[in-house]
Amino acid sequence: MSGQSQRLNVVPTVTMLGVVKARLIGATRGHALLKKKSDALTVQFRAILKKIVATKESMGEAMRASSFSLAEAKYVAGDGVRHVVLQSVRSASLRVRSHQENVAGVKLPKFTHFVDPAGASSGGPSGASPSLTGLARGGQQVSACRAAHVKAIEVLVELASLQTSFLTLDEAIKTTNRRVNALENVVKPRLENTITYIKGELDELEREDFFRLKKIQGYKRREVERQMAAAKLFAEEQLAEDLALKRGVSIGGATNILVGGGDKDEDIIF
Amino acid sequence: MYSWEMLSFNIHDGFLEAIVRGNRSGLLTQADYNNLCQCETLDDIKMHLSATEYGPYLQNEPSPLHTTTIVEKCTLKLVDEYKHMLCQANEPLSTFLQYITYGHMIDNVVLIVTGTLHERDVNELLEKCHPLGMFDSIASLAVAQNMRELYRLVLVDTPLAPYFSECITSEDLDDMNIEIMRNTLYKAYLEDFYKFCAKLGGATAEIMCNLLSFEADRRAVNITINSIGTELTRDDRRKLYSNFGLLFPYGHEDLAVCEDVDQVRGVMEKYPPYQSIFAKISYGESQMLDKAFYEEEVKRLCLSFEQQFHYAVFFAYMRLREQEIRNLMWISECVAQNQKNRVHDSVVPIF
Repeated sequence: MSGQSQRLNVVPTVTMLGVVKARLIGATRGHALLKKKSDALTVQFRAILKKIVATKESMGEAMRASSFSLAEAKYVAGDGVRHVVLQSVRSASLRVRSHQENVAGVKLPKFTHFVDPAGASSGGPSGASPSLTGLARGGQQVSACRAAHVKAIEVLVELASLQTSFLTLDEAIKTTNRRVNALENVVKPRLENTITYIKGELDELEREDFFRLKKIQGYKRREVERQMAAAKLFAEEQLAEDLALKRGVSIGGATNILVGGGDKDEDIIF
Repeated sequence: MYSWEMLSFNIHDGFLEAIVRGNRSGLLTQADYNNLCQCETLDDIKMHLSATEYGPYLQNEPSPLHTTTIVEKCTLKLVDEYKHMLCQANEPLSTFLQYITYGHMIDNVVLIVTGTLHERDVNELLEKCHPLGMFDSIASLAVAQNMRELYRLVLVDTPLAPYFSECITSEDLDDMNIEIMRNTLYKAYLEDFYKFCAKLGGATAEIMCNLLSFEADRRAVNITINSIGTELTRDDRRKLYSNFGLLFPYGHEDLAVCEDVDQVRGVMEKYPPYQSIFAKISYGESQMLDKAFYEEEVKRLCLSFEQQFHYAVFFAYMRLREQEIRNLMWISECVAQNQKNRVHDSVVPIF
């Protein structure tokens, strides 16, 4: 059959037509909804992309500033200061918390940073309060360096959050678009084809029925005519019989001949 | 005074003085710095340095060069020169040379103690120690859990022992204490060095006491500025100032109560030698102070080469080399990070 894949394999009945029509309506509504979702996601996607570009630019700046401030600290406080700082770190004071944000049904992970009071109070250069590292030389540079790095981390966290959202959103958009396209290009045409097919089949059946009815009607009419004709003949014969009886002449023999010939050729009667 | 030294100085120390003056001419000149500042990559820096005394130390480094490698190799050269001089030295010059390294020794001890407190691997820590401040029993520092044990088990055998005896408390070590301990030790070290130099007498005493006074004053100012806004109390701050120098004792009293940088400036401007330093930096700015101090230090160190027959040249040479390494580090960092407009900010040319 032409377009075998283009229609569902169903029995062409009126019930089925109803079912398929309902499915088509569902598919259309679903398609509209998904299209809307896809649009909403794309808007979000563009916004995030814009933010990512801006954040990346500022990240370049922040990273450069932070690594340069480290060089400054090393210049003033000596190269050994990094070991001193490294050794006195206990636990991270700047931590990242993640939560989910819902955009058009897609769960986007969001990261926010916060200062862990436990880490901060444990002292050390990681603490929020200024420490005594580099007291004799370069203490200020060390704290400036820390401030610069904290800023860099903030930007990084923001960027990480955006990037993850970006990837998730990208995936979601792809899936949604795939669904939209599938609905638009496969499911809906198939349902429509099925409906056309069922309708066609039903029409065909109807036409067949009509034809049959007509045929039967014609047959019936012919039958009636024939019976009418037979009744007429019979009536005439009766009449002839009556006449013959009155005359005293039997026309039975003739009749017999006529009847016997009547089986073969009706025309002889007339 | 000088005549006596002239008579006897060269008997023991003439050779080494000749060596150190020879090494001094190996320090990078302004022309070298100009060339280095023009460099585009670290490889260019390496190429320029290969024409200097650092050449043999850097020549076998593979090409993806890193700033830390350059600094490491340059420090290695300094250490080699120091060891060479120490081997040749007689008393009391050998003691003098050892005194120079005590500062690094203190840093190493503090580093190991800090690392041990945070349960780091000792071997890993030893790699990070400054090579000038190594001593035999340094690895066993890791066993100590509090100050008393630290002193009793390890430090009593090191030259640092007398300094520790001053700041012994049985308190457990924590970060605040360690930083205070470091500075207390350094204070004791500077005072001891000062006394030792005064005892040597002659031109050594004159020049070294001058240099050490400057060092002590600089520390006092830095401690004051860096402790503004921290938990360090005024009394604690006062205790960290060395008991000599131009600022001692009245300047220390004033510094101890300072609450911001401008007050420090007010105190320091009473002292003519420091007026010029503070005149260079604008109000409310403390970033450039370090450079100003470094410049002043370099000037004073260079002046010590103007006299003969004294030990201060050794001290000056070591310090100038360290400054040179700092300069190299700064230049390489600037080049590596594409911040060439900042190159001239912190380079202190020597000679």
